[in-house]
Amino acid sequence: MEQNEKNDRKEVKKLLVLAILAGKIMLKNGAETYRVEDTIERICKSRKNIKYVDAFVTPTGIFLSLEYNEEVMTYLQRIKTISIDLNKINLVNEFSRKFVNSSMSIDEALIELKKIDKIHTYKLLSKVCFGSMACAFFSLLFGGTFLDFISSYLVSFTVLFTLNKIDKLDLTFFLRNFVGALLASLLSFLAVKLGIGENMDKIIIGSIMSLVPGVSITNAIRDTMSGDYVSGLSRGMEAIFSALAIAFGVGILLNFYLRGVI
Amino acid sequence: MEVLKQFILSFLSTIGFAVLFSIPKDSIGRSGFVGATGWVVYFLTYNLLQGKVAGTFCAALSVGILGEILARYYKKPATVYIIPGIVPLVPGAGMYYTMLALVEKDFLMAANTGTETLFIAASISVGIIISTTLSRSIKRVRQKD
Repeated sequence: MEQNEKNDRKEVKKLLVLAILAGKIMLKNGAETYRVEDTIERICKSRKNIKYVDAFVTPTGIFLSLEYNEEVMTYLQRIKTISIDLNKINLVNEFSRKFVNSSMSIDEALIELKKIDKIHTYKLLSKVCFGSMACAFFSLLFGGTFLDFISSYLVSFTVLFTLNKIDKLDLTFFLRNFVGALLASLLSFLAVKLGIGENMDKIIIGSIMSLVPGVSITNAIRDTMSGDYVSGLSRGMEAIFSALAIAFGVGILLNFYLRGVI
Repeated sequence: MEVLKQFILSFLSTIGFAVLFSIPKDSIGRSGFVGATGWVVYFLTYNLLQGKVAGTFCAALSVGILGEILARYYKKPATVYIIPGIVPLVPGAGMYYTMLALVEKDFLMAANTGTETLFIAASISVGIIISTTLSRSIKRVRQKD
C-alpha cells in the first residue's frame, strides 16, 4: 500500500517535470503565455486524480503548482533565451493533444518532448536564403528597381548570416538589432556606392524588415487581450526597444552619410 | 494588373518571412496566401482612402480573421498564420523616414512621419485585437451551446 503511494507520488512528480518541459519549449520559441498556461494545465489534469492545478506564466518564467493527495508541489522554471521557431509550438500543441487523449506513459512522453526540443525544422542556410528573399521582394514592393532587388538580397543575406554567428555570443536583443540595422545600412550604402543598387532608402527599408519585431507585437497584443497584462506589457516593451535599436542603427549611418563623413 | 503584381510579390515576401520564423512546412503556402491577401487589402484601401493608417487597419484585420479561420480549420496555433502576415505591415519604412528627417534636423517632418508610424503600429494592434476577440467570443458562444 505504502509502496504504491510512493510510486504514485513519483509519477506525479514526473508529470510535473513533463508539463514544465512542454511549457518551456513553447515559451522559448515564442508562444503566447495563455497558450502555454493552457497546455500545462491540460497536461497536468489529464493524469491521476489531481484536484488542483494552476500555472502562472510570464515571458521570463513559468510557475506551476499542483495539489495531489493533500500535498502541494511547486516547480519554477526561468526562461532566458528566446528564439523564434513557430513549428515547435505547433509540434508541442499536437503532442499535448495526443498526450491528453491517449494513455501514453510519462516516460515515453518525456522522450518524445526531448526529441521535439532538438528538431531543426529548416537548415540555417535555407532560413537565411528565404529570409533574404523576403527582404528583397519587400524592397520591390516598396517601389525598388531590379538592381535594388539584387543588392537588397545580398545585403540581407550577409546581415542574417552575421546575426546568426553573433547569436552565439548571447548578446541582448537590443544590441543584436542595433548591430543588424547598422550593418544593413552600411552595406546598403556600399552597394549604392559600388553601383549594384540604385535607391539607398529602398534597399535599407527592405533589409531592416528581417529585424522588425513582428512576433513581439503580435504576442504582446494577444497576451493583453487574454488578460495577461504583465506579459503583454513586457512583450510590448521588447517590441518598442527593438524598434528603437533599429532606428538608432539606421540613424547613426544616415548621420555620417549626410555629414559626408563616409 | 497592378494588384496581381502586388499579390505575387507579397506572396513571395511572406513565404520568406514564414521560413525565417520556421513555421510548419505544410503551412508555408497558406501563410503566404494570408500575407498576400493582407497586403492587397492594404494596397486597395490605401489607394481608395488615401490613408496608410486606415489601410493598415483593414489589412491587419483581414490577416487576423483569415489567420484565425485557417487556424481553426487546420488545428494549428493562430500565430503560425498571423505573424508572417503581419510582418510586411510593420512600418519599417516609416521608421526609416522618421530617422532620416531627425538626422536632417527637419523636426516638422520627423513629427509628421513619426506620428504616422506610431498610428500605423497602433492600427495593427487594433486590427489584431478585433480579430482575436471576435474568434474568442465565437468560441465561447459555441461552448455554451
